[in-house]
Parts: sequence; structure tokens; C-alpha cells
Amino acid sequence: MSTFNLFEIGVLLRGESAAVRSWIDQPVLRRVVLHLGIIVIGAGCYGAAMGWWRAPQQALLVAIKFPLIILLTTAGNGLLNGMLAPLLGLNLTFRQTMVALLMSGAVTAAILGAFAPIAAFLVWNTPPFSPTAMHGVAYRLMKLAHVVVIAFAGCAGNARLFQLLIQLGGNRAVAGRVLFAWLAGNLFLGSQLCWILRPFIGSPDLAVEFIRSHIALQGSFYENLFHTVTDSLSN
Amino acid sequence: MNEQTSPPPVPPDAPPVIPVGSYRSNQLGEDLGERVPIPNFIAAIECVLRHPRRVMFQLREPGAGRLIAALLFISIVCSIIYGLVAGSFSGGPQWWAAPVKITGGLLISALICLPSLYIFASLSGAKVRLAELTGLVAGLLTLMTVLLVGFAPVAWIFSQSTESVAWMGFLHLAFWFISTAFGLRFLHAGFSHAQAKSDTGFMVWTIIFLLVMVQMSTALRPIIGRADTFLPVQKQFFLMHWEGCINAK
Repeated sequence: MSTFNLFEIGVLLRGESAAVRSWIDQPVLRRVVLHLGIIVIGAGCYGAAMGWWRAPQQALLVAIKFPLIILLTTAGNGLLNGMLAPLLGLNLTFRQTMVALLMSGAVTAAILGAFAPIAAFLVWNTPPFSPTAMHGVAYRLMKLAHVVVIAFAGCAGNARLFQLLIQLGGNRAVAGRVLFAWLAGNLFLGSQLCWILRPFIGSPDLAVEFIRSHIALQGSFYENLFHTVTDSLSN
Repeated sequence: MNEQTSPPPVPPDAPPVIPVGSYRSNQLGEDLGERVPIPNFIAAIECVLRHPRRVMFQLREPGAGRLIAALLFISIVCSIIYGLVAGSFSGGPQWWAAPVKITGGLLISALICLPSLYIFASLSGAKVRLAELTGLVAGLLTLMTVLLVGFAPVAWIFSQSTESVAWMGFLHLAFWFISTAFGLRFLHAGFSHAQAKSDTGFMVWTIIFLLVMVQMSTALRPIIGRADTFLPVQKQFFLMHWEGCINAK
């Protein structure tokens, strides 16, 4: 029985076409487990670094939530993404769709994991998280750093997915259509899952908890966004 | 002297892989895979999603009634599943009312619009039988409702997260619109194989079908929210209803 080969992470990050194509065509359980492991560890480490500024307990909770968002988004949209691929011209099976999305998630998580020590170093060099710190430069810098890292990791993951889809479909237009549809769906669901599973950085005034149980299921991300925009415009 | 004769070709056991771009315009049935009958419900869903030309070809064959019945059955089951998700927003009587209304509304809308589709198809010069058109509409419903089931996990998460009927109504409408667009693409592909001289009739019918469906959602309200009666007491045009929902928020 073949064992886990951690060098496959490099193959995945480089997007070596022949190897990755064969992983999609002939998915094997151990590789799926490896990709799941990369997501859990990579995104988990970054989540821990993010939550560490508030409290060690918050670090643990965000380390659970970060991979959970990637996995729940992939699972929640899996059926839909599997249907959209053939309808938009890419003859992928459900299994191949899930494997491709899992690979993209693994690339994103591997990058996040690689940035986790840097994020932790940033936290270590930042003044303790206090009510005054929330209104200072440190908090804004921390948020900006997280946004940049997560955006970079997400873009890199999707760039690899795009290359893979071009290879599978043999056509940039088809690959672009499928990627756009998948991204739109994942962004739509992922944003709401992040909203439900907040907080991530946390707040010094509020208790450390997995989700804000009293408000987690009150309203959606998009309603909040809509009200924020309309309030801003009316003011 | 006896001539060596080659044995007759044996039909393949499994359909060959049909290339992507399944809505291409060559003759239906040219590909041997399209001639293989669709044996069960799962294969029917698979074909509607991946090999629509196989469905279109089979709808022209004798005994297409079984396939049409299968497609309608899939539509009903998928509508019920999506209806349960829609009903989970309000709970209570909506657990059964929403699936009944969504399933009934879809089937009645299709039934109401079927005669006009036949008329428009004939006026466009399409050589198509009513049974084949019925099958294509059943295919439209199948693709639409299967896609709605794909949207169901997302709809469920939002159903549990918000109390805004207007937002949920908008979300369900968006999912319905995307699913219907794919369904109509399937129908249009089937229509284009019927040698119609123009697409105008189909376009006009599409507008009528969409209007009937959105009005049906108003006529059968509430599908998401709560009410004392199963059906509305007051008759309303869908635009007025939507305006009322937005203002109520």
C-alpha cells in the first residue's frame, strides 16, 4: 500500500500538469486524505495565528473554523458545482469536480500554512489586544495583513484550478466559464459561512466563543452589507 | 467460391463517451451513444446534465412515454426536496405546503404553456410532435429541478440564518432564474433540432413561460412566509406583490 508522499504538495503548488491531471482522472483515497490533511493543517495553522492575538483559546477555535469554512463550502456547493461543469461544457464527473476543488483548497491552505509563522510573528510584535488597540494602527495593520495573505492564497489556489480546468477542457473560454460559476457559488456560500462562524480576530470586550451564539443566525452577510451600503449612502 | 463476410456490427454495451459541446448542431442519432436507451432514473439525470442529445434523440423514438414519465417523476421528487428546504424557513404548515405549491406550480405552469409552445413551434416551421415537445418540456423541468436541488444546501443555510422573507424570496428567485435559464437552453437545443426556420416563436414563448411561472409563485403565495389560509384571499399581479414584500421590510 502506498503511503503519504509529502513531496506531492510541491507538485500541487507547481501545478505540474501531467501529474495533477492523472490525480484528477484516477483519484485515490490516500491522496484525497492528504489534501484534506493539508487543508486542516495549513488553514488551521493560519487560523491559530490569527486568533492568537485575542487569546490562546481563540487561536484554537479559529484553527478549527478556518479549515471548516473551506470544507463546508466545498461540500455545500459540491453537488451544484458538479452539475454546472458539464452544463458549461466541461465533462467532469462529480468525483472529479470534488477532487479538483479539494486540490484548489489544498493549494490555498498550503500557502496559508506557509504564511502562518509570519502572521504569528506579526502578532508577537504587536501590542496586546485591548479595547484601545482596536482603534489603533496595529488593529488596522493586522486586518490588512490578513486580507492580503488570504487574498493572495485564494488567487493562487484559483490560478492553479484555472490551469487545471484549461487542461481538462482544452479551452480557455470553457475553463473561464466553469471557474467563474464555481467561484461565484463558493464566494456566495463562503461569505455566509464566515458570517455565521464569526468572530475570527475577536474582540477584547467580548468573551471568547466558537460562534456568537446570540447573533450567529440573525440575518445574513448580504443583508448586513446591503444595510451598511444604504446607511452609508443615506448619511 | 465462398466470399468471406464480416459479422454484423454489434451494438456497444455501454454508451461511448460523448464529447463536450453536446448541443452541437449535427443530426441527432449520428453518434451511436445517442441511440442507446436510457435505462433508469439515475441515467436520465446523468443524460439531462451531460448528454442532452441522447435525451432529445430518445424522445423521438417509439416508447418515449416511459422516458417522459421518468423525467416528470424526477422533476416531482426534486421539486419536493427543494420545497422542503423552502418550507424550512417558516416551518409549521409550510413544511408540507411549500413542497406542494412548488411542485404543483411548476407542473401547472408547464401544462398551461405547453399548447402555446406547440403552436409557436408549428408557426416557426418546426417538424415536431406534441409528444416530443412534452418530453422536451419534461426535460426542461428535470434540469431545472435537479439544479434547484444543487442549490438546496445553500438555500438551507440562508433559511436558517435570516428572518427576512424579502431576502429569502429574492434568493429563491435568483436560484429559480439560474436553473430556468439552463432548462430553457436545453429546450432551445431540442427546438433547434426540429428544423425551425426562426427562433422568434421560441423567444416569445420563453417570455410567456417566465411570466406564467413568476405569476404562479404569486398566485400560490405564501411559499416562504406564513399565512392563515393555504391560498391567498386577494388576487395580485406579481410586480405589486414583490413591491409589497420589499416595502413590508
